[in-house]
Amino acid sequence: MPRIVAHPSAPLDGAGQASGYRPSASIPYDRAVTDHDRTIPLRYSTPAMLGHWLVVLLIVSTYCVAWTMVSLRISPTQLRLFNYHKWIGVTIFALAVLRVLWRLWRPPPPLPIQMRPWERQAAEIMHRLLYLLLFALPLSGWLMSSAKGFQTVYFGVLPIPDALSKNAALGAALTSVHVALTWLLLGLVSVHVLAALKHQLVDRDTVLWRMLPRLSRPKKH
Amino acid sequence: MLVSARIVAAALLLFAGAVAAAPRPLIAANSRIEFSIKEMGVTVSGQFTRFDAIIDLDPMKPETSSAKISVDIASLTTGDNDADAIAVDKPWLDKATFPQALFTSSAVKRVGPDRYEVKGALTIRGKTRAITVPLTTAAQSNGSVVASGSFRLQRSDFGIGGGEWNEGDVVANDVAVTFHLVLGAAH
Repeated sequence: MPRIVAHPSAPLDGAGQASGYRPSASIPYDRAVTDHDRTIPLRYSTPAMLGHWLVVLLIVSTYCVAWTMVSLRISPTQLRLFNYHKWIGVTIFALAVLRVLWRLWRPPPPLPIQMRPWERQAAEIMHRLLYLLLFALPLSGWLMSSAKGFQTVYFGVLPIPDALSKNAALGAALTSVHVALTWLLLGLVSVHVLAALKHQLVDRDTVLWRMLPRLSRPKKH
Repeated sequence: MLVSARIVAAALLLFAGAVAAAPRPLIAANSRIEFSIKEMGVTVSGQFTRFDAIIDLDPMKPETSSAKISVDIASLTTGDNDADAIAVDKPWLDKATFPQALFTSSAVKRVGPDRYEVKGALTIRGKTRAITVPLTTAAQSNGSVVASGSFRLQRSDFGIGGGEWNEGDVVANDVAVTFHLVLGAAH
């Protein structure tokens, strides 16, 4: 298949027919030149990458902690893990807020030009859902803790006010909500990862590189 | 007429005094005995739903007053089944071996209007410690009296929650206890 090398004045976005889009060798890989001679970053900014990978790390940790703690009998170790789990949840929530604000201020780099409209739409919906769950999961955890009568005290020193008063039935219901959202997030993250791998291995486009630091430069073609 | 009215008034006062000296019945439904303890900064609170109190408080002669309060350990509730189960289990309050906690006053001292200092012996989990409890009374319009106060105890003094529960500063040693006892009009 012939490769069409993007001309510096070619539009960056839109449903182009260019199926083998690669930045020209003369343009740095993570910048694109517009027809006004301004450059547009092709990677996420450093804070955005940091936010993304930190949240990945925290989600993996908090899932591991959660998995362990629910299988333990009530013990000091279990109480400790419950608190770690809650602290990580609060941290993920705070990072989600910062990431959304950052995203509004510094929009993500453009998607590869050859992505079809439905793919762009799917990506948009997926990212919105993921952000929604980054808020919904900690919120449901906080509410279930409140209803169960165990306040969330960040790092054991900063009490987060309870939104609900003690109510065992409500606590049990909110626990089910929290657990359901846990599985939903796990499902969405799986699709997110599979989509990134598809872009990387099947489409062989720039999507995954956008979220990786500069040192992981793709091979020159 | 005037003299007889005075005699009646005096007789009424005497009678009232005699009534106040008799123990007032505990109105359990409106009374509460609560506790709270911290684990990693998180306050876990609960209460005992079954207890009895025989309180004989004479504001005129507080030194003759006495209080005896017994608490049914099995009636502990925090609103969380897992927490309840562990709290009355062997390492903690051990309800099977020590079904009751008991407070018996030894001396009552008046420290202000409606305020007293009650010295006594508190027995939990078979261990007895001397404690001093501040007590405030408030007469209600319906003739009942609310006796309330709070104190702190160290769970290690009573061997509550030993072993692994004392490791790593997860659960605090300090336990706050508050009580709100409604005592009906004396018979």
